[in-house]
Amino acid sequence: MTGPLAVIGVGQSMQAKRRTVTIGALVREAVDEALADAGLGFADIDAVVLSKTPDLFDGVMNPELYLADAMGAVGLPVTRVFTGGSVGGHAAIFGAHLVAAGLARRVLVVAYSKESEGNFTWALSRGLPFSSHLGAGAGGHFAPVIREYIRRSGAPEHIGWKVAVNHRHNAARNPYAHIRRADLTIDEVRRSPMLWDPIRYLESCPSSDGSCAIVVTGAELARRSPRPPAWIHGMAWRTETGHFAGRDEVNPRAGRDCAADAYRQAGITDPAREIDVAELYIPYSWYEPMWLENTGLAEEHDGWRLVDADRTAFGGDLPVNPSGGVLSGNPTGATGLLRFAEAALQVRGLAGEHQVPGARRAVGHAMGGASQFHALWVVGSEAPA
Amino acid sequence: MSLPEPVETMASPLRMDYTYVAGAGRTIFLRGLAERRILARRCPGCSLVYAPAPEFCSRCLRPVGPPFELPGHGEVSTFCVVSFPFPGQVYQPPYVVAQIRLDGADTRLMHLVREVAPERVRIGLRVEPVWVGDDELATSTTSIRYFRPMEPADA
Amino acid sequence: MREVAVVSFAQSPCVPADREHDMAEIVQPVIRQALDACGLARDDIDFFASGSHDFYEGRTFSYIESLDAVGAWPPISESHVEMDAAWAFAEAWAWLQLGEGKTALVYGIGRSSLAADLDQVLPAQLDPYLLAPLRPHRDALAGLQAQALVDAGLTSERQLAEVVSRRRDVPIEELLAAPYVASPLRTHDVAPPGDAAAVIVLAAGDTARRLAARPAWVRGLDHRMETHYPGVRDLTCSASTRQAGERAAEMAGFSAADVEVAELHTEYSYQEPLLVTALGLKNAEVNPSGGPLAGRPATATGLIRIGEAARRIMDGTAERALAHATNGPALQHNLVCLLAGEPR
Repeated sequence: MTGPLAVIGVGQSMQAKRRTVTIGALVREAVDEALADAGLGFADIDAVVLSKTPDLFDGVMNPELYLADAMGAVGLPVTRVFTGGSVGGHAAIFGAHLVAAGLARRVLVVAYSKESEGNFTWALSRGLPFSSHLGAGAGGHFAPVIREYIRRSGAPEHIGWKVAVNHRHNAARNPYAHIRRADLTIDEVRRSPMLWDPIRYLESCPSSDGSCAIVVTGAELARRSPRPPAWIHGMAWRTETGHFAGRDEVNPRAGRDCAADAYRQAGITDPAREIDVAELYIPYSWYEPMWLENTGLAEEHDGWRLVDADRTAFGGDLPVNPSGGVLSGNPTGATGLLRFAEAALQVRGLAGEHQVPGARRAVGHAMGGASQFHALWVVGSEAPA
Repeated sequence: MSLPEPVETMASPLRMDYTYVAGAGRTIFLRGLAERRILARRCPGCSLVYAPAPEFCSRCLRPVGPPFELPGHGEVSTFCVVSFPFPGQVYQPPYVVAQIRLDGADTRLMHLVREVAPERVRIGLRVEPVWVGDDELATSTTSIRYFRPMEPADA
Repeated sequence: MREVAVVSFAQSPCVPADREHDMAEIVQPVIRQALDACGLARDDIDFFASGSHDFYEGRTFSYIESLDAVGAWPPISESHVEMDAAWAFAEAWAWLQLGEGKTALVYGIGRSSLAADLDQVLPAQLDPYLLAPLRPHRDALAGLQAQALVDAGLTSERQLAEVVSRRRDVPIEELLAAPYVASPLRTHDVAPPGDAAAVIVLAAGDTARRLAARPAWVRGLDHRMETHYPGVRDLTCSASTRQAGERAAEMAGFSAADVEVAELHTEYSYQEPLLVTALGLKNAEVNPSGGPLAGRPATATGLIRIGEAARRIMDGTAERALAHATNGPALQHNLVCLLAGEPR
């Protein structure tokens, strides 16, 4: 990277099953908040990057066109990225690239989903011709991978339930989150309906409407911004093909390579000790131990021990998803950017009630497809050396 | 004069019809299924055996070799138990969807596993295909109704 | 700006409908061809970027299938835009500016033939509350823009026929006698939809010099968006094209007026005089490849314009070239790329 980059503004909308606002208005909520946070007006933005998951989710094709006005993008270069569920992370990184390349001084990265406009479950489970209708749904793909993780690690069955409780309790401290359950118990999770063995209903992410926006800029302008910047210490993305024998979907190499590259840029050699908080893309509870291992925050097969020892709970030494994470709100097009943005809020000291005290370095992580797309960044309170 | 009630929702149904092109590689596999044959192809570069096979090996990017028939049995590599209603289900939950590694192939095929109680399905279970009757055979994975344990004792 | 050039361009023939090959099967041979032309292997590529759109493919997450054509193993640095692949080219060019790598491969696929009826699909590009419910058919907005130009005296039906007649051996009077599809547009004024894939390989600095005898240096690239609502825009000019052209010229040190070849993403004949004016093209040969009027493979069309413009530089027939790409109905979003035989 040519000179440090930083996030100087973060905005979000309230997440809910259904927001009775237009798509443009939903997006505008996050955009307005991000600009206000950065102390900027529309005229200060040089480029816009839009993150969104498949257009079939809400039926709007090439939404960058319709949203030009809502995003304040008229007269600006606009790019709409799509890389599966990791798109929010990819978009944040591409936005940073535009600044690093000298093509823009301040980039607005916008992400949203308004899945209530369409039929999300149908859009995901449409069968292809000449194929059996297995009717497995989204989790039907991930459940077998989780089963394999449990087999390899020997993790006890309550780990997933514990993660679900941690995240939903965390969400109670996040006014934007969709599902906020300060009262959730392990027993309630255990008794909730089984969806795809071993994933239970209360261990799964919801489908949400929501938006997120961040402003990324370079060091000179970051130092002038009214509120503390979140400095980007390292960022990376990696993709691996889904269809070949011997692919390890439990601990995908693309995820390991991605995290390793970002840590290398950040000068981090012992992530578990040097990272204070992690916002990881956890759509089903068991992905917390799996991604802890995949991103190098835990040794292989040991991720579940961190959960079991309460180290990843809000008061632990490596809190995961203090925002409540994906389990507490999943506007798929925005979810990745929310992880990146929440990491930024933590190191800026601006996470309000869900602020992890003393958070100096944080990881934001996003995943897409059948664990094929990975994006991760490390942000810090201080500018990198 | 008072303002009218705000419009909160409007229905705007979309319908889009598409042609699906199976492609050259997939076509070979599908035609095999219509004859109750599971066809695999080997990459001459890395020797990976694909079933179903694309036209090009996704690692070497070279065309894969000619099709050859697999015996059809294999083992459950991983699986899940679908316990809840979802669109497009053929069977009542709970039922098992598995990734099956066919003997002779390096890739896995996703399909149903039946004729066994879900709680008795395990990784490593040996399974064989149950084909549909002649009147239901088609160039489709539905030509295999499901997989079942090879050993009745496993059921 | 770091010196970055096109070192290879390949495309598959644009056919009305390919019913034999799936996405990976269409893209893979073109990738192979583009790599062979500059002597690279897949493992030599540092970054991949692609452009395609689910609503042409008819499946969600459709682009993931194209990754099999790329062979994303070991894991690669990669990104995708759900737009014309010209925007993937812009992303790859920006990525090469970072200095993290030396080569990038951009691929685009567009299959217009899978949708049974594009009138079902294209209205989805519009404001879902105010415009999409009107379900304007695929050429309606273009018709509005063309009529606005005619009403303003900036073009005429005869001029449109001349644009078409230049490429096809059909007398103007015969063209003018054909019925309208969206007045003043006739069938021959509409770029025919088709299926094709295209690949461009980009390289930086000395790597580019090593890979191609005459690299086509990207001297300037910019894109700009206009307001969405056609009723608010001045449809008789393309302000975003003019703006993108001016910004690209600032970067390049020369302007559209200086290029010998211009490949324009003209989805309709009327867009040719409109874009020529907006860009300030002077003596450029427009669409020597035939342009989209010879075949419009959806989300590959803009990338092909860049490739065709680059080809003229690489084969020595031009010193300076311009490529234009568009996104959305009635030219709402436009990209301009200036290429030259000299790096600066």
